[in-house]
Amino acid sequence: MLLLEHDAKTLLAKDGVAVPPGVLIESLDALAGADLPPGPWVVKAQVPVGGRGKAGGIRMADDASSLVEALGAVLAMRIKGHAVQGCRVESRRAGTEVFLSFAVDAAAGAVRMLFSAQGGVDIESVAPGVLRDALVPPQLDAMLAALPWLLEGAPPHIAAAVADAGERLAEIFLRHEALLLEINPLFVNPDGSWTAGDARFALDENALPRQPEQMVLLTAREVAYPDALFKYRNGFDYIVVDHGGEIGLVTTGAGLSMKIIDDLTALGRRPYNFVDIRSGQFRGDPGRLITVMRDIARAPNIRVVLVNIFAGITHLGEFTKLLAQALAAVPELRVPVVARLVGNGLDDARVILAEQAPAVELQVDLEQALARVLEIAGPAHA
Amino acid sequence: MLMSLLSEEVPVLVQGITGRAGRSHALQMLAAGTRIVGGVASPGAKPNDGPPGIPVFADCAAAVKATGARASVALVPPMGALAAARDAFGAGIKLLVSVTEGVPVHDAIRAAALAREHGATWVGPSTPGLAVPGRMKMGFLPEVTLKPGNIGVMSKSGTLSYETNYRLVRQGLGQSLWLGVGGDPVKGTRFADLLPLFAAHDGTRAVLLIGEIGGTEEEDCAAAIKRMGFDKPVFAVLAGASAREGVTMGHAGALIQGGLGTHASKTAALKDAGVQVHQHIDELVGAMVRTLGSK
Repeated sequence: MLLLEHDAKTLLAKDGVAVPPGVLIESLDALAGADLPPGPWVVKAQVPVGGRGKAGGIRMADDASSLVEALGAVLAMRIKGHAVQGCRVESRRAGTEVFLSFAVDAAAGAVRMLFSAQGGVDIESVAPGVLRDALVPPQLDAMLAALPWLLEGAPPHIAAAVADAGERLAEIFLRHEALLLEINPLFVNPDGSWTAGDARFALDENALPRQPEQMVLLTAREVAYPDALFKYRNGFDYIVVDHGGEIGLVTTGAGLSMKIIDDLTALGRRPYNFVDIRSGQFRGDPGRLITVMRDIARAPNIRVVLVNIFAGITHLGEFTKLLAQALAAVPELRVPVVARLVGNGLDDARVILAEQAPAVELQVDLEQALARVLEIAGPAHA
Repeated sequence: MLMSLLSEEVPVLVQGITGRAGRSHALQMLAAGTRIVGGVASPGAKPNDGPPGIPVFADCAAAVKATGARASVALVPPMGALAAARDAFGAGIKLLVSVTEGVPVHDAIRAAALAREHGATWVGPSTPGLAVPGRMKMGFLPEVTLKPGNIGVMSKSGTLSYETNYRLVRQGLGQSLWLGVGGDPVKGTRFADLLPLFAAHDGTRAVLLIGEIGGTEEEDCAAAIKRMGFDKPVFAVLAGASAREGVTMGHAGALIQGGLGTHASKTAALKDAGVQVHQHIDELVGAMVRTLGSK
């Protein structure tokens, strides 16, 4: 999970990293009361994806009127499908710009350390030979030992500043169990100090249970991290993929749930949500089904709900009882429900559905279930 | 090396056998032909919390000493997965399957390094496991999706592989070996690692790759197919065509970042390596039936 830059810098500043002074502004109205840092400014879109500069999400402002203009423009943007959650308005900095990054390299199963004496630009555009890298285990001694190699050939005042930055940032990277900590640009100041001009800081959702400081940060900005917080609190993944979606999904398994969304989307339909409800973890409690169905019931355009359970381990009789309980607990869900069930206990499930939730249409073949869902949903919205 | 461990004769441990899942899956693996010779207790559990008839030990070292186990399935909580791996590899276990979801990534890096140091194979985490249908399984691949056959299956996703293999089995096809590599970004065994095994295995006539967005595993596998001149037909289905950048789709590894790991990139790389990539499961099943013949 990529932190918003503002949160990343807040976390880094707490650990003593120098960042340009800045504030988060979430609306034009909030600008008037904001405690702005000294201008001129840079106005930076807060989105959980990279490439915002290329998308026009970073603008310069030299005076108050251009600040209003830049802020208004960026706050209204969507970048790679993500609404801009606010802007960090920051004092503009100058200095020698370098690039320093620590990232989990999944293919290598190690930490990849990258340094370039040319920073501030798209790192893919750095000339070959300028970017230096090292693969190390996630250990402080190994990361520190690799720093001199990374900095070989850099001008001495840069090497000294980045060695200091590297030591500080490696400790932060490891303590936070980060997936990525990239500082680009890292400003090397004339006095030999350094400042983190930008920060891409990705945390590991799996490590959250043992990272209480990160939980404080995430819960302070619920709106920016809804999916990670939902998973942490509920133990399963639930993502609204299209607020105007027409088809609610109650499905298990990440891969198959994704594929169902792909297939519906390819047909021009609009699935409302992704969910990996993990029916194997219900243990007799319909709570997860109720949580998901309540949210689907609140969606404005829902026309039909598809339940898909492939019961390898789960017993479908048990699941069906919980499904009936959940439907009874969420009477506001008034659209038709198609349940595709396959695997252990299908005969029991058939009987239980007929007795306890006769309105649910049972299908055993996924393609037929999808066809029924499309039929019920009717013609696609333009 | 790995193939020799995928036999019903290899003695297997279950770590976390005193837990609810450990108990029940130990018995199901036994029923599937796996030679389960013992279990390791979850921290704090009593030895008699295990299933009847399977001896329970305090750690892998004791279990290996008493049983000669060479492989293990760990059904332990996420924060205990690294300790379980350290216990297993330290005791000489040469094949460890970690089904645990939600293992911290830095722990996975350490566990993978331990496997390399000990010359062992680590499968997972976040995998439903592996199976040689009719002979043995480690993990919980559903029986209804398994049938002895000649397809080598490798998958990031549990459910998408269940659905696909269920349809293949209904068409009379089956698997020579099915191995779930898991949906996490850092893992013990990746798609490309399995190609030499499938290439050398006479019982495997075709390979089914079930991938999804995120990372470069499919692209790396495509490059390896070209590099080694892998000459058995490879079929693939990939999930996540409609996923947005920056949104993690259930699996920790299923995340498009910085334009990397997209469905388009994976499809193009695999096709370029001669892999048949299908959008629809039924099309894929049809193509595999045409290549391998239905029974």
